[in-house]
Amino acid sequence: MATLDLLSINKSFGAAKVLHDISLAIEDKEFVVFVGPSGCGKSTLLRIIAGLEETTSGQIMIDGKDVSDAHPVDRGISMVFQSYALYPHLTVYENIAFPLRVQKMPQPEMDAAVNRAAEILQLTDKLQLKPGQLSGGQRQRVAIGRSIVRNPKVFLFDEPLSNLDAALRGDMRVELSQLHRSLEATMVYVTHDQVEAMTMADRIVVLNAGRVEQFGTPMELYHHPKTKFVASFIGQPNMNLLPAKVLGSDAKSLKVELDGGHQMVVPVEAGLVSKGDNVEVGIRPEHVSLGDSGLSVTVNVLERLGGVSITYGAVGNGTRFCASLPGDAAIREGTPVTLAVNPDDCHVFDANGDVLSRQAAPELAG
Amino acid sequence: MTDVAQSSTLETSFKTRKTMSENVFGWLLIGPAMLFIALIVAWPLAETVRLSFMEARLGGEKYVGLENYQDLLDSRKFHQTIVRTFYWMFLSVSLKLILGLIGATLLNAAVPGRALFRVLVMPPWVIPIAIGMIGWLWLYNGYFGVLSGTMMSLGITDGPFEFLAHKQSAFYSAVVADVWVGTPMVTLFFLAAMQGVPRDLYEAAYVDGASRWYRFRRITIPQIMPVIVSMSLLSAIFTFNSFEIIWILTEGGPRGATTTLIVDTYKTAISNFKFGQGSARAVIIVILLGTFSLIYLFFLNKVNRYYGNGKK
Repeated sequence: MATLDLLSINKSFGAAKVLHDISLAIEDKEFVVFVGPSGCGKSTLLRIIAGLEETTSGQIMIDGKDVSDAHPVDRGISMVFQSYALYPHLTVYENIAFPLRVQKMPQPEMDAAVNRAAEILQLTDKLQLKPGQLSGGQRQRVAIGRSIVRNPKVFLFDEPLSNLDAALRGDMRVELSQLHRSLEATMVYVTHDQVEAMTMADRIVVLNAGRVEQFGTPMELYHHPKTKFVASFIGQPNMNLLPAKVLGSDAKSLKVELDGGHQMVVPVEAGLVSKGDNVEVGIRPEHVSLGDSGLSVTVNVLERLGGVSITYGAVGNGTRFCASLPGDAAIREGTPVTLAVNPDDCHVFDANGDVLSRQAAPELAG
Repeated sequence: MTDVAQSSTLETSFKTRKTMSENVFGWLLIGPAMLFIALIVAWPLAETVRLSFMEARLGGEKYVGLENYQDLLDSRKFHQTIVRTFYWMFLSVSLKLILGLIGATLLNAAVPGRALFRVLVMPPWVIPIAIGMIGWLWLYNGYFGVLSGTMMSLGITDGPFEFLAHKQSAFYSAVVADVWVGTPMVTLFFLAAMQGVPRDLYEAAYVDGASRWYRFRRITIPQIMPVIVSMSLLSAIFTFNSFEIIWILTEGGPRGATTTLIVDTYKTAISNFKFGQGSARAVIIVILLGTFSLIYLFFLNKVNRYYGNGKK
């Protein structure tokens, strides 16, 4: 297995620049997820690592060796496609064996390799079927099997679960995580689904408009988002961002007045922000509770999920606000509630969307 | 009767009524087309079969039973015509398929000006065959033709060479012209099929180290195989029945070298006014092509099952 280093990767399609100076160092045996909205360049970046696209400039190093101009096979990567890219006219066995046939591997070795992969992926009794006879999840496994037999240094996954239904996606997430542990492989995984990113990744790369917004562990991104984009992308439901005015600051805190008049002192370093500036205060839906004093929110929609009640409402001049409250919270649609907010849980973003350093963030797990 | 039983009876009677009126409506819709086909296909076909048992000339008809067929089976010349027809078909169809496959692969490649090339393959198919063949007549002409002229200037021949005047060269010249007319359609069908192959399959194979040739052999060919098989059937029928090309170039000559079954039939029935004997030949063509198509369809079914994705 191997390390993967990207050094100043740039990519343009004609006049359109899609990747801006991307540098990442991915450790051996690490599971890294590229996450971001559609069109952020995550799939392009993966295809560049695979050797399916050329960079405009920059270097790709696998195990310290420059493979920027190497053929995918010489890079030692294998890739699982979003569509699975199974050959419909070939059996499951032949699909999995395809890369080995290309290498002209002797039949006994090929049998052993295919059977081993089939065993890991529970496909042993499906080897003589054709892809059309398999379910979505089984097809996905065949595609993974084709990757495994190659014994690659780096596995690449391009949104492999997006064609599955929600229940199966959950199962496959678990299976992929287990596979990662058992193969002890370096894996790079692309998705637009932040739940997949949070649940599977050792580290997450959040991409936005062709730039790396942040590279860190899931909990680091959750507790210490560097930008407003990361803060609102990571976490479910999304973080609330309330416009606020700075009333004053000292070395370790900032006094703000939120849209709607609520005032609070947030323990963040003011940095370049000073009195009178406009900022945004980020509050995660799960970090509020029903209380006697705090934000006054009019409840518009209430979704009772059993364990929690997701409450959608508005504060101040109609800024949307979402709160995740206990399942049996005594609230009703159309009525105002008061939500208590702990300033320690709040994030503050300056006018550029950059975060002000938090003073009271929780210790990171792990 | 319970409510459930009652409602299901109601439903059934409603369904039956609906189906009946739908049936009548359906027959009304296809009626005109059926009548039209009966007039222009079924009736002439039946008439041809009837005539094949007659000695029919301009003057009148006389029933002769199977005599026309007996004559054909005994005729060495007719046997040669059948062999020639199948050789003509085999050669021409093989060339069309090979050239079509090569052409489609080139047109499918990401080269600049691809759209222009795609348009440029069309003319042989689009321009009327008669006009195209007059062009070929000029090309093959010994005194004015560019081919003969080029061969002379290169010293391959001493004097003018009439391509259509010698038995061997006339046959192959006609094959070339037929291939010229038939290849664009095959090419475009293959191209359409190739464009339907998902790009992911090629990318996956590329990542796995498959060469261009390997990808062509193991992905493109199997993926377009059903189209290859059906195009070879269509093309075989077209080529078997290809009449104008031969007629305009050689009228079946010299000394019968380019006389295929269809040309022979025309010569017998229309040029020599032997309608009965001509009809017998036409019936044999129908039987041959019918058998050929049945075998082919059986084969196509097998291919589709083999190269399909396993779905029923």
